[in-house]
This record gives sequence, C-alpha cells and structure tokens, in this order.
Amino acid sequence: MIRLSTLLWALLVALSGYAMFQIKYEVVQLEDERARLDHRIDAAREQIRVLDAEWSFLNQPARLDQLAKHFLDLHPLGADQIGHLAQLPRRSPSPPAAAEAAAPPSAPSQPTAAPRLANARAAVMQ
Amino acid sequence: MKPVQPPHDDNPCRPRHYKPAPCAPAPVEGPAKQSLETSHTRLIITGALFCLAFLVIAARLVEVAGFKADETRFARVRSDETPAITRADIVDRNGVLLATTLDAPSLYANARLIRHPERVAEQLAAILPDVSESEIAAKLASDKSFVWIKRLLTPSQELEVNRLGVPGLQFQTEGRRVYPKGNLTSEVVGYDDLDGKGLAGIERGFDDILRDRSEPVELSIDVRLQYILRDEIARTVADFSATGGIGIIMDVNTGEVLAMVSLPDFDPNSPGSATPQQLFNRATLGIYEMGSTFKIFNTALALDTHTATLASSYDAIDPIRIGGFTIHDDHAQRRWLTVPEIFQYSSNIGSAKMAVAVGTDRQKAFLTRLGLLKAPSFELHEIGAPLVPSPWREINTMTVAFGQGISVSPLQMATAVSAVVNGGVLHRATLIKRPDGYAPSGQQVVSPRTSEEMRALLRLVVAHGTGEFAEAPGYLVGGKTGTAEKVAAGRYEPKGLFSSFVGVFPVNEPRYLVMVCIDEPKGNKESHGFATGGWTAAPAVKRVVERMAPLMGIQPVDEDSPEIRRSLMVGSPSPQGQKIAAN
Repeated sequence: MIRLSTLLWALLVALSGYAMFQIKYEVVQLEDERARLDHRIDAAREQIRVLDAEWSFLNQPARLDQLAKHFLDLHPLGADQIGHLAQLPRRSPSPPAAAEAAAPPSAPSQPTAAPRLANARAAVMQ
Repeated sequence: MKPVQPPHDDNPCRPRHYKPAPCAPAPVEGPAKQSLETSHTRLIITGALFCLAFLVIAARLVEVAGFKADETRFARVRSDETPAITRADIVDRNGVLLATTLDAPSLYANARLIRHPERVAEQLAAILPDVSESEIAAKLASDKSFVWIKRLLTPSQELEVNRLGVPGLQFQTEGRRVYPKGNLTSEVVGYDDLDGKGLAGIERGFDDILRDRSEPVELSIDVRLQYILRDEIARTVADFSATGGIGIIMDVNTGEVLAMVSLPDFDPNSPGSATPQQLFNRATLGIYEMGSTFKIFNTALALDTHTATLASSYDAIDPIRIGGFTIHDDHAQRRWLTVPEIFQYSSNIGSAKMAVAVGTDRQKAFLTRLGLLKAPSFELHEIGAPLVPSPWREINTMTVAFGQGISVSPLQMATAVSAVVNGGVLHRATLIKRPDGYAPSGQQVVSPRTSEEMRALLRLVVAHGTGEFAEAPGYLVGGKTGTAEKVAAGRYEPKGLFSSFVGVFPVNEPRYLVMVCIDEPKGNKESHGFATGGWTAAPAVKRVVERMAPLMGIQPVDEDSPEIRRSLMVGSPSPQGQKIAAN
C-alpha cells in the first residue's frame, strides 16, 4: 500500500517537473518572439514616420503646382465657373422623356448650353 | 532543587517495564528534559511554518490555475507602450505634417581605441565633407573615451563609416528634426538646434509642450493657403523689386491665423545658413507705420463715438499746417468731403479733422481697446512691441488718424481690422487650431452697427476707390489701401515705401481677412511707376482671394443683386441729406 502511494507521488512529481520545464521553455520562446515583434514594430513605426515625412515633402504645394502645370491641362477655378442650382432654367413642362429625347446622351458633338442644363437639372431632380 | 529519587524496589520479580507511579507529578527538571522540550517546540513551529508555506503555495496554485487563466502578466514592461519620448510633431489644421522627428545616427569615437588617428581622420574627412580633417585628427588624438565626430549623419554616410570597419568609431541614434515643407512655413514653425531645443517660431514658443506630449500640435495654419499667399507675395516682391513682403490670412470670426508669410524666409532644415533678414519674422516682430489702412480705425472711431455719421462732411480744400508739418492729400479732391469720400479717396486732411473732432483721449482709449498700443499675446516669442507717440499731442492725434507716427506689427493690424469688420468683437490672434464650432469669447470693441457701416465703406474703396485692383469678381472684397513712407534717419524717405492692402471677404458677411504688405516696392512699367498699396498689394490680395475662395467653399455672388446692394448701401436713409453734405 505504502509502496503504491509512493510510486504515485513520484510519478506526479516527475510529471509536474516535466510540465514546469516545458512551460518555462515555451514562455522563454514566447518572450523572445515578443521581443522580436516589439523590435519590428519599432522599426515599422520609424519607417512610417520616415514615409510620412517623405509624403509631406513630396506634397509640397510648390512641387505639386509645378507638376500640375507641366502634366495637366487644368487651370484655377474662376468665379464665373461656379453656379447655383437656382441659376438653372426652370424645368420644361414636358415629361422627362421628352427632355431626354431633346438631348439624348449620344448627343451631337456640340450641344448647346440649355439642353445640357436641362439634363443636369433632370439629373438633380432624380 | 534536588531531584527526587524514586523509591528503591529490590523485588526481582517486578516487571521490567514497570515504573512505579510517582506520588508527585513527574519531575520536568534536568538538562536533557529541557533540551528535549525545546526541540519539540521548535519542531512544531517549523512544521506549522512549512504547512503555512505549502498552504500559501497551494492557494496561489489554485488561484493561478483556476481564476487568473485569462489575465496575462509580464514581468517586463513593453518597451513601446512607453516609447522613448521624442518631440511631438507639428501639423497644420488639416493634419499635414510640418515638423517631425526622425532617427538619425550620430558618429562618436572612443579615442583611446583609435590606433592611427591621422589615417582614420583622413578616411572620415572624405566621407564627411563638412568636417575638417585636422579637426577630426585632433579629436581622435585626444585621450577621451567619448568625442563627437559628427552629429546626425545621412544613411549613406553611416554606411560608408561602417564600411571602414575602424574599431572605436560608434554610432548613437538621435532624433533629428525634419521640416518637410521647407521654406513654406519656416517663419511660423521655426526651427530647433541639434539637441532638440526650439530656437524660433512655434518650436520655441511651444518648446515645453512639444517636449512633453506625444500627440502632434495642430496649428491653425492651412498649408494650401500658406502656399497661395507666399506664392503671390513672392511674385509681387519680384515684380516690384521689393526688399520684402508680408502676408496674413486670418479667420475674422475666431482670430485663427490661417497663413502667415514673411519674405525673405529660410530653410528650417539648415537654419545655420540663413541670414538675419531671413530669420526675421516681419509679420509679428517687425513694426511698421501702416499708413492709410489706419483710417479704418479712425473712421470706426468717429462713427462709434457718434462724432460723425456717414453723412457728415469735412473741409478738405486746403492742406493742414501744424507745428512745421503740412498734412496734404495724395488724391486731393480740394473740396468738402463726406466721411465715405474721405475713406474712399483716402484723404489725410479729412481723417485728421475727424480725429481732432473725436479728441486725443478717446482716440487713445479706442486704439488701446483694439490692442494696438501694446505688444499682443501670441504663441510666438518673436513679438514686436508697437512704437507709440509719447507725449501724445494734437499733431499726433492728427497723424495717427492716417497711420503716421505710430508703428504696429502686421499681426496687430490684422487682429484689429478683423474686430472692426466681424461685428465688433476682438478675438486674440492665435496659431493653434480651434475645434470645429468653437465660439471664442471676445471683447466688444465697436458696436455691430459701426461694424456694418465699416464693411460698406471697405466695399466702397474696392468698388470705386483706391483699392479697385483688389476687386475679385464674385467674392465681394472690401478693403483699404495703405502706403507709408518709411522713416530713415529720422525723416520720411519718399522712395522707401511700405505699401499694403488689407482686404476682407465676402464683405457682407466677412469670413477671411487677407493682408499683404510689400516692403520698399519700386514702381514698374505695368504700374506706370506707381508703387503704392493700390498698385502693388491690392492686386496680390485679389489673386489670393480668387485662388483661396474655391478652396474654402465660398460661393461667388452677383454684386449687382438687390440684396447685396442693400446690405452694402452707404449713406443715410435720406439720399437728400447725403447730397447736401457732399456739396
């Protein structure tokens, strides 16, 4: 009887000892990994800072201005190019189908301003 | 005490284990007995302690295994939860990066480990062009264990130094302040020294705050507006061969400075190569006689104190002679002028008479309320104190009326004009972004009615007066020109002008103030030789307004619509009254 319980205890001790070392090594491994990740996070953060600075540097308005002048055919927006909805002509009493027929999407190459506005207004109304 | 002996028993048949019961309690005396007892007690105490220890361990085991399973605890604190404190970034109101800190290696040497100082110095000097070879050699030959060779190297230099493979040369990572926008915001943001100490601008004014916090400091500056303003001022300065230019864009309803330019400026990434003129922030530290833009305050003063109405008129036929000086008009009309006409034609004579009618004391009190007589509180350290006449005699009252004999900084000027047009509330100028919907408290300096009248007068100057070149169609610019002769060696210098224009738009419901000052412009062919505010600064303001208004979402309006005309009508309710006065 005594021998059996002794054996059992010895077994338990061995088991728990094994488990303890196992866990300890796992913890050490995890901590190493954590340190590695921390390091990578730090490096990534520093990289982000560098990239942010570079982004801001490349977006200097003077540079963008030059690039836009060189590559784009755009000009500063003039006050006369901005309109109100209220400035659009009143919607014609004819049903929308008629308005569409008057200025179909595949319209002539040079549509006049009025149908275009009417179209825009129809779009707004929808 | 003598031990009691048990009675002698000589019976041979007595049981060997029998011990006669003592008639008295068993004696406890005797050294053996005592030591036995002591060890017994010790044993019990030790056993109890062990039991306790095991119990504690068992309890802890149960606790850890059973209840704390999900809570992870680390003996080591994560390094990046409390990162090494780097100086906070500076961003503009839209979050665009203006100043940041990047890691950069700094090279130092342990001179005791260097075997051949001359040879190493020669190699290093080839890699680091801005450090002299002899200097490095001297440092390496010293017997110190730590000498800086060069702070903040570039990555390629670091690589080259590593390639040398010289023992004793080592790197230390340091924070290097980088200003990605370069010159654009140099006067506002300022710059740092190598040890991260702010030396100018926000870097200096907010040194402690930048040091302590990790979130970026948000300025009220809008980089887009800053660029537009700088671009147009640079163009004007070049066109008129001026020595410098100043510009401020301010939100008149909050006092936020949206853009602030002082040309010439410098590259904050290499402040060492900047000249004192470049480092000098003319917008806040420079003080100037503003000239006719001061008539904004003079007219507001006369209207607010009810010494004049828009229908009052003053004799502007002859120049005023006082104390050896002559006050005359640049755009002389040689007749009686109404208050709107005085403003429109920028009449010095009329303004002086208006000021005299108000009186010195009230003028002084009014300018004090507008914050023009003492240095303003601002986030920058570069703040110029105004130059105020002392003693303030009648002639000073007259000259101050049209902006002579008093010098203020452009920032003060912008702040005060904002107050006059925004309904009469003075807001402290600030470089720090206000949260959306923030309603800043302010001091009422003129009545809302006066403010409304002033807006109409400012519109009149642009629509039909000296500021016609500031007219940006659709955006209802109102403003006032100013041309002052600079004081040099105690007298006015007719060729050294300080030409300015302070504009507000949309003037019927003001949102932004745009101020441009050009220092010593020379007239050119396009301006027919003129270098006044109306010819130099006003067109710049117009271009700035035209470029910034779409960005700020301002709807252009029709100036001729009845509502607009009514809201900006100048004059008394009865048209006859105005006509009589004009005659």
